Amino acid sequence: MLVRLADGELDALEDLYDRYKTMAYSIAYRITNDATLAEDVVQEAFLGAWRNAARYVEGRGSVKTWLLSIVHHRAIDAVRRRRPTTELPDLELPPPDSLTVPDVWSEVAVGLDAATVQGALAVLSDVQREAIELAYFGGLTQQEIAQRTGTPLGTVKSRMRLGLLAMRRKLEGEPS
Amino acid sequence: MSGPAGTPVLTHDEVVEMGGAFVLGALDPADAAAVRTHLATCREDHSEIEGLGSVLAVLDESVPVVEPPAGLKARIMAAAAAESSGAPTTVAPTPVAAPTTVAAAPTPFPTADERAARQARRTSPLSWALRIAAVVAIVALGASTLVLRNQLTDAQAYQQAVTAVIDAAGEPGALTAVLTADGDTGTGLAAVSPSGQVTIAMQDLAPTTGSTVYTAWVIGGDGVPVDIGSFPVGRAGTASFTAAGVTPTAGIVLALTREPVPGLTAPSGPVVSKGVATAAG
Repeated sequence: MLVRLADGELDALEDLYDRYKTMAYSIAYRITNDATLAEDVVQEAFLGAWRNAARYVEGRGSVKTWLLSIVHHRAIDAVRRRRPTTELPDLELPPPDSLTVPDVWSEVAVGLDAATVQGALAVLSDVQREAIELAYFGGLTQQEIAQRTGTPLGTVKSRMRLGLLAMRRKLEGEPS
Repeated sequence: MSGPAGTPVLTHDEVVEMGGAFVLGALDPADAAAVRTHLATCREDHSEIEGLGSVLAVLDESVPVVEPPAGLKARIMAAAAAESSGAPTTVAPTPVAAPTTVAAAPTPFPTADERAARQARRTSPLSWALRIAAVVAIVALGASTLVLRNQLTDAQAYQQAVTAVIDAAGEPGALTAVLTADGDTGTGLAAVSPSGQVTIAMQDLAPTTGSTVYTAWVIGGDGVPVDIGSFPVGRAGTASFTAAGVTPTAGIVLALTREPVPGLTAPSGPVVSKGVATAAG
């Protein structure tokens, strides 16, 4: 599919959309909480993937992870633009490499079932979940999270890091 | 301590501590740049951060499922088709005519803000005649081409072009015209905004080859055709065209001719399609 995408084939874009439309829109809607904005995000994400597929072919990893990282990046950008107090990121800046260059583990993660996902989320404490969700789905920076929750910045950093580490250990079958 | 362009320089431990915020996108741009710089230059082990990034797939999987609207796919495919086919572009106007043409760039679906702005300025409703003509035009094209998927994208591209005309026609004081074929083929819609921008959507045009183009003309009260730009037509037979610099006077005639080359000062071929611009509303 990627080769066909890179060749600009419309059929490949259609296949990509049919395969990932629901997840892409669900993520965009979860972040924007706005149906119209979510539509715009998804449209631009798919068109962006279609236009830049050649660049991706030179990379590696799951097309799903790549596409959804674009959706997430654009959705966060959209909600941050609705909040004029937030310093806007460089639009041309690609998502962090950690999002665009998935490792082998994330290839496995693509096939996670609902029970496994819920199990991983269940290891989070309330404050860890709050920090992670405010960042990943709310688009808040660590400073904004600290301000909103009345928590020292260092504590916010720790909650995010330790929460994600606990989730990873749970997924790998290690005791959390 | 700071690096180039004020980017802070971070220690390895600081980067590890910021790993969660980094993969979640919760760092401000300066800190994120500093982490990137560190990761690109530090030889110490950063597998923890890579591991944290991989957990994001679980967060993605945790969102409630919401199905996208049915029309979203058509919009995306139409935008891609318009982009893929190479947007029809206007050429430089002749020195005699001297209107300013505007390249007919691909017309992406407007953003939410753009749609809201357009809605806000629609104080003059589009005439029902034009709306009906638009629907008929879309359905007629769709009904004859829905058999094949590629042709469907052509229909969607034309629908997008018609939408651009309808949006332009919605401006207060705009003029509209239904272009009818003088011969066998070539029908469409046009709008002239109060600022003098012409937006045209055409279908059923014979494809052009080589240097052949369709040239759009405006004919005012003096009866002299004025070239407002030219465009090629692909196999789909549809076109989206915009030009500026037209005096928005009711009664002007918009006409298309098929010409061997762009830039002629007067039509050399017969009129393919034409219509009279009248007040919308």
